[in-house]
Amino acid sequence: MIWEVFRQEKSGDYHKHCGNVHAPDREMALLFAEVQHGRRKPTNSLWVTPQKEIGEVDTEDTAFGGTTDKSYRWAMTYNFEAAASEVEESESEQATADRERKAQIEGGS
Amino acid sequence: MAAVEELSEPGELTAEEREAVQHQLFRLADDEFVVAERYTEWQVKAPTLESDLAFSNIAQDELGHARLWYDLLQDWGAEESELIWERDPSEWRHSTLVELPFDEGDWADPVLRSYLYDVAEDIQLRALQDSSYPRIRDRVGKILGEEDYHREHAANWLERLCEEDESRERVQAALDRLFPYALTLFAPTDEEVEDRIDDLGIRTEPLVTMREEWLDEVVPYLESLGLSIDDAELPEQYDVHHNQFDLPDAVGRDQSHTDDWYDLQEDFTHSYRELGRTSAERIMKDPDDE
Repeated sequence: MIWEVFRQEKSGDYHKHCGNVHAPDREMALLFAEVQHGRRKPTNSLWVTPQKEIGEVDTEDTAFGGTTDKSYRWAMTYNFEAAASEVEESESEQATADRERKAQIEGGS
Repeated sequence: MAAVEELSEPGELTAEEREAVQHQLFRLADDEFVVAERYTEWQVKAPTLESDLAFSNIAQDELGHARLWYDLLQDWGAEESELIWERDPSEWRHSTLVELPFDEGDWADPVLRSYLYDVAEDIQLRALQDSSYPRIRDRVGKILGEEDYHREHAANWLERLCEEDESRERVQAALDRLFPYALTLFAPTDEEVEDRIDDLGIRTEPLVTMREEWLDEVVPYLESLGLSIDDAELPEQYDVHHNQFDLPDAVGRDQSHTDDWYDLQEDFTHSYRELGRTSAERIMKDPDDE
């Protein structure tokens, strides 16, 4: 049975997928993951989950974010007047995310 | 530890103190080195990739522990090469449990052997936490930090192997064979020197007490898995207070060994001799500077 492994580098970080291990049950999966995925890289915590329990939806199944204009979702669409500094900060984050998303769509097509 | 006086720096020990410390260190270092050497034989041969990595990782841990103990033996001028690669095999002091060969594919053996060994190691290390010899005391914590995984690994495997008749029978066969050798883990290197180790407080538990503790933990646990030690070639007087166990012919601690040890030693020193080496390259920092 295959267990997917997620590693958290330090407390508070997200657990990120880092690979998998073969093991008969959860206890052995953790034991193996500790060596296989936690012995060389900085590790604060590991999660294991049965591969078959993971659900997936991908670009073949759906168009993530929709296909029509949804610019109302983005803060910079509402840029009528000078914004407070917190808003500007959030805007710049979103602008970056938007660029990355567009680049991904172009790269993918 | 109040009653026992702290021992001096390595260079200032009396000859008798030094001999006692050295016996204790050879017990520890040789066990760790040889058990790791045997474990390594499972590399790429364990049942799955995962078990292979886990077991090899344990072997690496044990080699690391051997390194810490051999390093302390170098305080009196010996080089690492003299302690390992050039030392006469008849001078080694590891228990014969760790030198026995494995039958090909008999995974129950390393699993059981590591369980018997690691429970004993834990007991022996705890008896060194308050050692009167500071250089030993200071290194115990670091080693204990890696031992939980070893015991958990062994126990998890044992529990699973004992779930079905066929695999439990293989564990039982390994137990019958290994148990008497496991008792040599607590055998004296030399009665008089071991008494001195206790008197000087280098170790806070005598061998007999540690053996009793080990039996109290290991026997009920193995029995709870449906295993029996009745068929093990046990000494006639199965009495933990008795000093003179009827041990196997080769005890190890007193430098008596099986022929398999001489083969193994020949094997792991082969490259050293073949390449005409006279010293061992050190690639890691001195443990004192870690």
